[in-house]
Amino acid sequence: MDKIIQVDQLYKSYGALQAVKGISFYVERGKLFAFLGPNGAGKSTTIDILCTLLKPDRGEVLIDGIALGQNNDAIRKQIGVVFQESLLDPQLTVLENLQTRGRFYGLQGNELQKAVERALTVVEAHEFAKQTYGNCSGGQRRRADIARALIHTPKILFLDEPTTGLDPKTKENVWQTIENLQKQSGMTVFLTTHYMEEAAKADYIILLQKGEIAAKGTPYDLQDRYSSDTMRLKARNPEKIERVLAENQLPFEFKNGIHVVALTDTLLAIPLIQAMQEDLESFEVVHGSMEDVFLNIIGGEWEHA
Amino acid sequence: MLNLAIRNLKIFFRQKSAVFFSLLGVFIVMGLYLLFLGDAYVGNSTLPGMKSLMDHWLIAGIVSITSITTTMGAFEIMVIDRANHRDKDFFAAPMSRRTIVGGYILCAFLVGLIMTLLSFVIGELYILSQGGHVLQFTVILQMLGVILLSTMMSSSFVFFLVSFFSSISAFSTASTVLGTMVGFLTGIYVPIGNMPDSVQWLIKTFPVAHSGALMRQIMMKEAAAFTFAGVPLEYRAGFEEFIGVYFLYGEWKSSPALHLAVMAGSAVLFFILATWNVSRKYK
Repeated sequence: MDKIIQVDQLYKSYGALQAVKGISFYVERGKLFAFLGPNGAGKSTTIDILCTLLKPDRGEVLIDGIALGQNNDAIRKQIGVVFQESLLDPQLTVLENLQTRGRFYGLQGNELQKAVERALTVVEAHEFAKQTYGNCSGGQRRRADIARALIHTPKILFLDEPTTGLDPKTKENVWQTIENLQKQSGMTVFLTTHYMEEAAKADYIILLQKGEIAAKGTPYDLQDRYSSDTMRLKARNPEKIERVLAENQLPFEFKNGIHVVALTDTLLAIPLIQAMQEDLESFEVVHGSMEDVFLNIIGGEWEHA
Repeated sequence: MLNLAIRNLKIFFRQKSAVFFSLLGVFIVMGLYLLFLGDAYVGNSTLPGMKSLMDHWLIAGIVSITSITTTMGAFEIMVIDRANHRDKDFFAAPMSRRTIVGGYILCAFLVGLIMTLLSFVIGELYILSQGGHVLQFTVILQMLGVILLSTMMSSSFVFFLVSFFSSISAFSTASTVLGTMVGFLTGIYVPIGNMPDSVQWLIKTFPVAHSGALMRQIMMKEAAAFTFAGVPLEYRAGFEEFIGVYFLYGEWKSSPALHLAVMAGSAVLFFILATWNVSRKYK
């Protein structure tokens, strides 16, 4: 397995506040990797450390084989970062912004022009390239931010909450850009988010809570481990139903005239439904969702955005 | 570094209000002079060419403070970048902090130079429109040299001040205060002779006042020779000391060499202090 990012026992405190408490993980090359967690979980701190913006208190970080702190400029050439806030210059046009930033990486003349052209194409930003960044809409700005991060064709793209604060349609649009980019270029994408639906699209998820890793795995793994399927029954004859459930040793909850039963597997519902067929008015079987996973791990602290 | 300086220059000159406010100090001086001060100086004098002499005095003063107020305006970009965390984007790129900070300094220096030269040209046009003479070519060359040095000093002095600010509002307040104060501290609003002793000493030790004095010496030389022809030397010396063409330290009269040394010295000193302060803070 090819690990492009390796993090070992990473710690970072701000005064008395421990933001990151000894986390270890790795990211495989070419994968879409998501850091998920509520606000204040330590996502941005970790990303700032990986992007060479913050010095960790302790811990080892290897990025594409280069140790963090040894040759940070070499790391900076390999990474592109889309920050949570829009950081380009509002007085300059999108084009000027990209040209200025391209020169940070030593791009010049023809080479620079090609790089700018390519970045604009990836995010489909040609139509507003000549507009000042300050006059762009939220979605256009985000796309310009992504173009800026891609200007030097980095190996790893970091995105810190790339869709926060965007309207649903723009969010979808930006997300589409990220997914296409990752699929077409095979670039490693590392993103943080507090939207569960977004994390569910990643190849691998780490769930961060209060500076520690609360869970990790593929979206499928996590659903399997941390959520259960439920069967909801509307009974014509409650007593008989309850008897069948008791025979199968299934505990249930009775709410608003509906029996709610937790199942370890959706398929288990088939024989039960068959046995109860006569006594049911209706039923539904729901597969565990990503939302359940997070609610189960994080508990009530989840902040819905 | 040049790339960043160009970026900063574009940002500065595209904000019309920033350009205007960086020249506010100059507009205030102009307004005051045209409305009251000019008459107060020239009104009761019987000497020939007094008006033209004082016009040169005024323009020298204005040119000397332009470099301070405009570099202050240009350095605001640095404070804004820091306050809005826009510099994160720079730090995540393979550039040294020296390059990044250098970009701001170079931009401030260039803004100061452009605006100071502009105010010099406009000042000369004003003198011309008032019936005065354009300066001789060699005098203009001397002025260009002093403008260059004075802008270096100003950008390094303002760089030092800026290194203490990380909030935009604190910085704009400071820059308004400095923009107004600098007119007093160089003896433009009120001639140094009208100030109490303690303030006179403050002016004599304020680096920017030295570029003001030197520019007055250079610009007023020709006009003064005409105005004071046949007037007792003591009278001329007293007058020139009163309006701050020379500074007296006890018995000792300041020379151009002293002014140049103060300017060059403070350029270096403030640059070192500012660099130290910035590298202490940028961690």
